[in-house]
Amino acid sequence: MRHSRTRSGRKYLAGVVVCAVYIFLLAPVFVVVFASFDGGDPVAGRAFLNFPPQGLSLQWYFSIQARLFHSLWISTAVAICAAAGGIVIGVPIALGLVRGTLPGRSVLEALCRAPLQIPFIVIGVAFLQTYYLVTSLTGIRINGTFMALALGHLFIATPYVIGSVGAVLVRFDTSLEEAALSLGASRWTTFRRVTVPIIMPGIYTGGLYAFMVSFGDVPISLFLASPKYTTLPLEIFHSMEFDFDPAILAISALVVMASVVILWIVQRVVGLDVLLRSGGSS
Amino acid sequence: MKARWNIILIPPMILSLLFLFGTQFVFLRAGFFEDLGLGRFGDTLTLENYITFFQDSFYFDTLRLSFYLSLIVVVAVLLCAYPVAYVIARMRSHWSMILLATVVISSFITVVIKALGLIIIFGTDGPINSVLLNFALVDRPIKIIGNISGVVIGLMNYVLGFMILMLFSVIQTIPRSLEEAAEIHGSSRWRVFYRVVIPLSLPGVFGGSMIVFNLCMGAFVSAALLGGGRVLTLPVVIERTIVLDGEYAMGGALSAILLIVVLIINILSVMAVGRMRTLRT
Repeated sequence: MRHSRTRSGRKYLAGVVVCAVYIFLLAPVFVVVFASFDGGDPVAGRAFLNFPPQGLSLQWYFSIQARLFHSLWISTAVAICAAAGGIVIGVPIALGLVRGTLPGRSVLEALCRAPLQIPFIVIGVAFLQTYYLVTSLTGIRINGTFMALALGHLFIATPYVIGSVGAVLVRFDTSLEEAALSLGASRWTTFRRVTVPIIMPGIYTGGLYAFMVSFGDVPISLFLASPKYTTLPLEIFHSMEFDFDPAILAISALVVMASVVILWIVQRVVGLDVLLRSGGSS
Repeated sequence: MKARWNIILIPPMILSLLFLFGTQFVFLRAGFFEDLGLGRFGDTLTLENYITFFQDSFYFDTLRLSFYLSLIVVVAVLLCAYPVAYVIARMRSHWSMILLATVVISSFITVVIKALGLIIIFGTDGPINSVLLNFALVDRPIKIIGNISGVVIGLMNYVLGFMILMLFSVIQTIPRSLEEAAEIHGSSRWRVFYRVVIPLSLPGVFGGSMIVFNLCMGAFVSAALLGGGRVLTLPVVIERTIVLDGEYAMGGALSAILLIVVLIINILSVMAVGRMRTLRT
């Protein structure tokens, strides 16, 4: 009797702790979405603090300026470039590292993961100074271009692809390829019809991680963005630092809702375990 | 057959290494030039920026502050994340998957948006303060955001998800049967927890703490926004030195110091985890 009471007490305690931690983890996101529907008076600066919202309305959604939509578009484009570039560079590296015979592969592997060990703000500084040096040496101006942002983001995107494709490859049974080869398939056909489908979940997951990390980044973009090419997180950041505009809440809420829908779909398609495994390894 | 994999490895690998070493070399080198302000460098190599860092307490204090803040956050997050990771790892229902998916999805949402939410929640007009006022726990709104406590809250929110995922992946590998065996032999539940579960998960605790510590050391957004510009951690000062003051060389030196601290911690953590593994087997 006593035993079962302490047991349920423990369960209750565990439940409370788990709930509290999850509320702390998720509340900020929900609050942003909730506050974006605020129908209160558009008093400059005040509406920021209208929580809970006074009446519901979509007024802030209609007040999102073109500038914010432009930055949303830039963020998306940069993230797509980073993820696509990361896949193009990362997949052959992962294949070569897992399958190849090159000496010192473990060192190379560690070097491939190195960008994720460097604080992002240091990466931003390093790229900025490299662009300046390139300009002073060759006269080619990189700073302030779309390329400047995309290259910086590509740098952090690649390790995610290498990590997740590598994780899939390590578990991959090479006898499947051997079977295809012995049955008369050419090397290229084998690669296209056997290898690629098997590593596809790794590519999806790595690409997704690369996209999301690039999309949400501030510290790298901070140094590499220009008035013409600025990302949405950076716009939100500056708006919070200087003058707050409630339209920021609305566009943030849009991003949150879009992210949740996309991630939920991806999770249904690839499965959570793939998503978790490559997340843990990076 | 094998040689083909080497051939496809080499070009992208060279490209990646060029990126890595190129950019890192350029900024590390920049730190060794005299800073003339406005993005201009002196001509001769000098250690001046590094000497300034260690002599000027303004700069050195930023490193110290970053260090202590990260330490506090690691301990706090560990205490929050461990029970959660344990509960999820020992759940038998499909809820464990839902809880994990929630953590993964939330970790993908940009820090800026979370910081925005935290400022609304903990702000002087926010729900936390109105609850405190309603229950007469305080006479006037307390300032949680815009100082150290704000930064701690922001950093905790930033790294909590990572810590839960890392601890979960380790606790999951501890066979449940070990706990049952200890219980059958008369150990109390808490004793099983202290003597079996915690010791076996130590490598994960250690590895997770190091990663989280490094994330905190390099965290810029949470420190800048929730500190209200008054909490000067090293990343915040790096941004100011470069973006506001245009001191590129000094900024390079500060970045180099941050990078070195983080790398040392990484190396120590790899060594420590390896050591723990060998002690266990």
